Amino acid sequence: MAGVSTKEIKNRIRSMESTKQITKAMEMVAASKLRRAQAQVLRSRPYFEILSATIQTIACSDRSFSSPYLKEPPEGKTLYLVIAGDRGLAGGYNSNILKLAYGDMEGKNAEVLPIGKKAVDFFRGKDVPMVTQRYAEAASMGIGDCFSVAKQLSKSFLEGKYSRVFVAYTSFASLLSQVPRTMRLLPLEKRQEPDREKSRCDTIYEGSSEEVFAAIVPEYLGGVLYGALCESRAAEQAARRAAMDSATQNAEEMIADLSLKFNRARQAAITQEITEIVAGS
Amino acid sequence: MTSFKLKIVTPDGMIFDGEAEKLIVRTTGGDVAILARHIDYVAPLGMGEAVVVTGGERRTAACIGGMLSVSGGEATLIPTTFEWAETIDVDRAEASYRRADQILQDKDASETDIRLAQARLHRAMIRKSVASRK
Repeated sequence: MAGVSTKEIKNRIRSMESTKQITKAMEMVAASKLRRAQAQVLRSRPYFEILSATIQTIACSDRSFSSPYLKEPPEGKTLYLVIAGDRGLAGGYNSNILKLAYGDMEGKNAEVLPIGKKAVDFFRGKDVPMVTQRYAEAASMGIGDCFSVAKQLSKSFLEGKYSRVFVAYTSFASLLSQVPRTMRLLPLEKRQEPDREKSRCDTIYEGSSEEVFAAIVPEYLGGVLYGALCESRAAEQAARRAAMDSATQNAEEMIADLSLKFNRARQAAITQEITEIVAGS
Repeated sequence: MTSFKLKIVTPDGMIFDGEAEKLIVRTTGGDVAILARHIDYVAPLGMGEAVVVTGGERRTAACIGGMLSVSGGEATLIPTTFEWAETIDVDRAEASYRRADQILQDKDASETDIRLAQARLHRAMIRKSVASRK
């Protein structure tokens, strides 16, 4: 009957509307969190850039400079730090980064240190051993945690437990594009060839340049990790905002569609009634 | 006094960017003072009080971890945390101090916990002492 069908359509419209309200609210929450995360990224960038420039200057200041952090050890265990989100409903954010990290580990003797609830859940079902599950909440991870992870990493690296350390994170390219990528943390990469003209006499190091370097590297790694975490957080919010925006739009489209159907059904019912009355008189 | 360019950058952003006459920080080897036209210099930082003198005005801060580098007459301080004395939250430092103290008193605490607590205690003590001397 026409009456039943209009009622059904009405119910569907109502449920779509409440879905739309939820997605709209989530979008707005994500947008405001994104603004904060973005500011954090911008604030942490200079620290990171200056630190990395200084590391490079020390590493390249002298030809005879050597540090265990720069040496490439023979193939051994590889550690992956994987930064994902705590919650879903963020479009392809979590699945993209996890797929990339897992694909990269394939065929390697790898261990993983997951950061974020989604990463922990993902690797629980895989055959890759996890170092720790302590960082199951990416949102509450602060700079202190980053530094303690970095300290632990450099220690294990120097002990020869791992031969390579990678971090998999999502870089926040723009509001519309977030790129998952992996970056090598250890051993450090020398970007330029050492300058022959310059000797170490130019700069005074407290202790030796090697000592200073060894003291700074864990700090540097902590800084890099924190930067990657900030980028990932911003990327997560941006991805969620975009996903919720398109969900809201889809809901609107469906509501428009259903309203049309509803009006047609209502009109059909009226027409039928009139026809019946006219036929009966 | 002659001044030099000083930048203080932490992971939380640029704290200071401008001219300074004197900078005193605690490196792992002890306190050092940087004046204008200092030779190129790099040192890892310890935990302690930092003093910045700009325009005759003396400002103190709690400065923890990181490094100091002077190059081409410009000084760059890259600490892990850097808080001006007036912005230190004394109550938080006090709470952190007490929490760390509790862990240290606990006989069942693991070795890592004790190490973390010691570091926290140290940081809290520096914060407190810097804040009380402002």
